Amino acid sequence: MRLIELSRSEHSGLRIRAERVTASAANQHLIPIVVSEFRKAAIEYPIVFAKHPETGRFAPYVLNGLGVEENLFWSGTELDVAYVPLNVRRQPFYVGMNNALCIDLEHPCIDPTGQKTIVNPDGSDSAYLKEILTILGELVSAKEATEQFIAAALALDLLAPIRLDIVLDEEKPLQLQGLYGVDEDRFRQLGEREVAQLWKAGYLDLIYSLLIASGQVFKLIRLRNQRTALGRAWHSNAR
Amino acid sequence: MGRPVRSICIVGGGTAGWLTAAIIAARHGGQAGCGLQITLIESEAIGIIGVGEGTWPTMRSTLKKIGISETDFLRECNASFKQGAKFARWVTGRESDFYYHPLMLPEGFPGLDLAPFWTKFSDEHADAPSFSDAVCFQEAICELGLAPKLITSAEYAGVANYAYHLDAGRFASFIREHCVKNLGIRHIVDDVTGVVQDETGDLAYVETGKSGRLGGDLFIDCSGFRSLLLGGTLGVPFQSCSDVLFIDRALAVQVPYENEQSAVVPHTLSVAQRDGWIWDIGLQNRRGVGYVFSSSHTTTEAALEVLQAYVGTRHRDLQPREIKIVPGHRQTFWKRNCVAVGLSAGFLEPLEASALVLIELTADFISTMMPATRENMDIVAKRCNETTHYRWERIIDFLKLHYILSQRTDSKFWIDNRDPGSIPESLAEQMALWRYRAPGDQDFMSNNEMFPAASYQYVLFGMGFRMDVSNLPLERSFGSAQRAFTQNRMLKEKWTRTLPKNRDLINRIKEHGLQKI
Repeated sequence: MRLIELSRSEHSGLRIRAERVTASAANQHLIPIVVSEFRKAAIEYPIVFAKHPETGRFAPYVLNGLGVEENLFWSGTELDVAYVPLNVRRQPFYVGMNNALCIDLEHPCIDPTGQKTIVNPDGSDSAYLKEILTILGELVSAKEATEQFIAAALALDLLAPIRLDIVLDEEKPLQLQGLYGVDEDRFRQLGEREVAQLWKAGYLDLIYSLLIASGQVFKLIRLRNQRTALGRAWHSNAR
Repeated sequence: MGRPVRSICIVGGGTAGWLTAAIIAARHGGQAGCGLQITLIESEAIGIIGVGEGTWPTMRSTLKKIGISETDFLRECNASFKQGAKFARWVTGRESDFYYHPLMLPEGFPGLDLAPFWTKFSDEHADAPSFSDAVCFQEAICELGLAPKLITSAEYAGVANYAYHLDAGRFASFIREHCVKNLGIRHIVDDVTGVVQDETGDLAYVETGKSGRLGGDLFIDCSGFRSLLLGGTLGVPFQSCSDVLFIDRALAVQVPYENEQSAVVPHTLSVAQRDGWIWDIGLQNRRGVGYVFSSSHTTTEAALEVLQAYVGTRHRDLQPREIKIVPGHRQTFWKRNCVAVGLSAGFLEPLEASALVLIELTADFISTMMPATRENMDIVAKRCNETTHYRWERIIDFLKLHYILSQRTDSKFWIDNRDPGSIPESLAEQMALWRYRAPGDQDFMSNNEMFPAASYQYVLFGMGFRMDVSNLPLERSFGSAQRAFTQNRMLKEKWTRTLPKNRDLINRIKEHGLQKI
């Protein structure tokens, strides 16, 4: 990764191959999301919380795999999902210090054969760049809301470590560690006043999204088992 | 139904008073409505001794139980992480001489006992690692100055077992605030001017300077060395153990760090000296250093020179505080309706940080055994006395163990310490058995043990004790032992690579806090 601040004049010739944008997610088992994405993400992925290794602070992620660096939604060429998280779609752009727009010049989607350009011939921002700026804007503005939601959930002890003992087909049991989710028992025990506060803050929607999303773990297990079966068939054919 | 116990009066507001109040209130607190009423009276005029700066890992569960966030505690009490003790120059007195008493059990212990395997190996190999290094990965972490956990570890959870170093003055006021704000304890700042007994001899009330009479069904004496209620009013005599443990003076000094980012040593350092030893404890903002010595072997002036030489000429201007210690304890800890906790019960040199843990254990005993009636109190008192006596005896034995194996001959202090007449019979018996097998759980059968058998192993083998293992059947578990040694090497490799520096973790916690989960 080589992040530098984007210059519309200096980088005017850069071209992006849109179909490669998601490639960076190919081996990410966790992709960070923000609260405004919860409902959309819940139709596809389990949503979990994990701690930042440098600060210990919680952030929400979609879970793509059952092992480190495993993305079961990656088909080999694309993400086979109905909803792609903002943090994937905004690639190869980043928000740097002081909200400066930055670009990763080593991202595989930057390629002279790409269709997308950053600026129009007249020097104005391209429709593509405008779309990127909208995505980055949403990520920045939802950051604080996400932190507030986590603080509220922690204050009510609503998060707990996820204990998933998964036994995959003919494999060793697998244990996911360092992931947290809604403590459903604790949630059901909340008093009326606390629930009313959650509702007013718009947090009930988020909590139910998380609860629904938790069922998507079964999808990951199914995808993993399919992959194992495919692998086995491949090996037996090869022999 | 007899006379119910409804109110508790705690006299003294140091660490002992406030910690005891918190532990009892967390269980019997008034918030629920049916609880005991707890009053604590402390004097503004009398300061606290506050030398107890090292805890045991028990402090983690104690703090958690009384409802304190570890992040708040670390931030407010200048606290840091402690992973056991490093004893330097205890064996031969040479510069290179040291061993560790870590806070983790040897790999596989107690199901598997690595001590005889290590003994056999080190009998045959001159370059064998030390016992603590061979069986436990904590020594390697400590030597590198690493913390016992990660910023992603939850509060009170760790990668390696740990305790704390804390600022005792800050700690007492931190617990006080929690007690008054959150645990419903009545706090009275006043001087106790008299103690009055009823016709049966029970304590009835204490007279105060301006708050009138304060009564209670149970009195807890946390008045420090004065032992105002138990030793004073109730006349329970003091039982000295100065015939076993010779340390009776401390010179304590607070040493500033070179700068704000100086390393914080993640263990207690105990450096043997001519007539005693020096403790060196790293807090966030300073070190606490003190020389404890035997006044029958040296003078305060000579001791001052030793301490000054240790802290270095940069700190020439620091004014050490002298504290007289009478090693020992009260003959009875709970008499009538009065129980002593903390220095009022007794004190020993802080070689294994036994002061704070005894407060926790006694307060916990009082709390869980809280008599429902005055009549039941005598039964509880009897049990408390048995348990507490047992604990003091075990601590005295264990402290003495540190001295009897030293090979130092540079002063009468060390030679006198090896005099068989100064060694308790219980310890001498254990030593006789351990000539031919390692300390094990079979040697410590009580539910009230202070130190696990593993602690005896660390000190014994650290002090260079050799066991005759020629008659032990070792073949049977040879494979498991090999696996355990390998496992320890793996853990050492993994965690020395992963854990942050002690100072670095403290900085991160101050900035971001630890998560509760």
